[in-house]
Amino acid sequence: MHDHASDPARGLDCTACRRDLETTPIDVDLSGIWTGVMSQVWAGRPGRTELVARRVLRSAGLARALVTTPSLLLSWLVASVVVLAAGVVVSLSIDTPLIPLLAPGLAGAGIAYAYGPGTDPAYEIARTMPISDRMVLLVRALAVFGLNALLGIVASVAAPMAGGVALAWLVPMTAVSALALAAATVSGSANVGVTLGLAGWCIAVLGGRITGGHMDTAASSQQLVLPYLIFAACCVGIVLRASRFPNHRRQRWS
Amino acid sequence: MVVNIKGDEPPETSTVVNVETGGLTRRFRRAHAVAGVDLRIGPGVFGLLGPNGAGKTTLLRVLATVLPPTSGSMRLLGRTPADQAGRREIRRRLGYLPQTLGYYANFTVFEFVEYFALLKEVPADRAQKAVARAIERVRLDDRARAKLRTLSGGMLRRVGIAQAIVNDPELLLLDEPTAGLDPEQRVEFRSLLREIGERSTVIVSTHLVEDIGAACARVALMLDGRIVFEGTPGELTSRGTGFEIGDAPLERGYAAVLAKARA
Repeated sequence: MHDHASDPARGLDCTACRRDLETTPIDVDLSGIWTGVMSQVWAGRPGRTELVARRVLRSAGLARALVTTPSLLLSWLVASVVVLAAGVVVSLSIDTPLIPLLAPGLAGAGIAYAYGPGTDPAYEIARTMPISDRMVLLVRALAVFGLNALLGIVASVAAPMAGGVALAWLVPMTAVSALALAAATVSGSANVGVTLGLAGWCIAVLGGRITGGHMDTAASSQQLVLPYLIFAACCVGIVLRASRFPNHRRQRWS
Repeated sequence: MVVNIKGDEPPETSTVVNVETGGLTRRFRRAHAVAGVDLRIGPGVFGLLGPNGAGKTTLLRVLATVLPPTSGSMRLLGRTPADQAGRREIRRRLGYLPQTLGYYANFTVFEFVEYFALLKEVPADRAQKAVARAIERVRLDDRARAKLRTLSGGMLRRVGIAQAIVNDPELLLLDEPTAGLDPEQRVEFRSLLREIGERSTVIVSTHLVEDIGAACARVALMLDGRIVFEGTPGELTSRGTGFEIGDAPLERGYAAVLAKARA
């Protein structure tokens, strides 16, 4: 198709290309050529993010699964940025750090909505794919966590506390995310994951307020780092157990 | 079934079995959705008939490796899905259309089918052509760039079939594939089934006995989680001789077998 090989749609209108097609020997698989041409016309080009993900993950399928994560879509990201921006404005005006309280809740919600039945419309088909759904879950959860951590750090820099930028909330954020992920995976419902994640975080914040006297005790106390990490590890263990296949002792293959 | 004839020697028959189950069960709490199914299925189109709640969908989901069985043995395409490597190999060569197709409304037809081609590990350099071919085979060429939210129910069903066949599966599992298709599309679809069945195993669950008569070489009838009949459509038809319920011979056979099984 001459110089139209890179643009088959133009090639279809080109007289020379059409003449070439007419004079092509009959033993050539014209149907196959046509399918190849149409595939290039119909196909969209993967975005930059997907191309980078393909290189990092070394899997085109996993990269596509990553960029279709519901809680990584533009609308979700805009909502997260708006919530954190409002948190920055309020923090500056009342001189109380709100980002350490908001960031873990946002991350937990995002992770609960990353993957699962009821969240991913094609979940049933996705479970029959050679790329395991556990791997899809892992990649999506890590991406959502990473992005939320980045947004939270940017917001913390924009609204520093009296002692400078503190990032101790990354630890409770890990625990809340793990709780939301475990609840969503075990129950098969993103809503249950969000509810339990946020409820757990609210209880921790209120408990910290009562025992420590400050709203941000739950987000900044050094004494809570180890319990948070142990709790997160337990939740991850639950996720791994719940997402294995077969997922019950009585359900065995032989 | 493959028959090899070498000169004057008697026909040598070698059987390729792509689906083999023994005493397969699947339980949901106390309810046995699949209650001991034994199957040996080779290449060809295999129909799965039965009333609502007979266990057809659960059996297909187990065969599709969506659900593990509660007990029993299962080999698909010569591998057992119990271990991860076997499961991955089976899934690479498997196509599955669930009863209810979930889809991404903002995807185009091409994007949706391509998504599953990539997840099925069709090599990226061959994926686009495989997708285009699958879309052509279900006659959606003119809607390849249309968003899924703009398609009718019948078109969405064909999109589901396209994603199931995009990897040229050796085992194709279709749950109610003709639901929503008009008569002309159903005729075309049966032709596609027969074409795929020439070299692959196709298992079709359906309520429509005419689909079975037109496309299937063998048929099984399920009731209460068990296979109560297995044979050719002709054999099922012959079971209905003298039975009065049903408008067509195959329907009478279906009704007669069910009545006998219930009795």
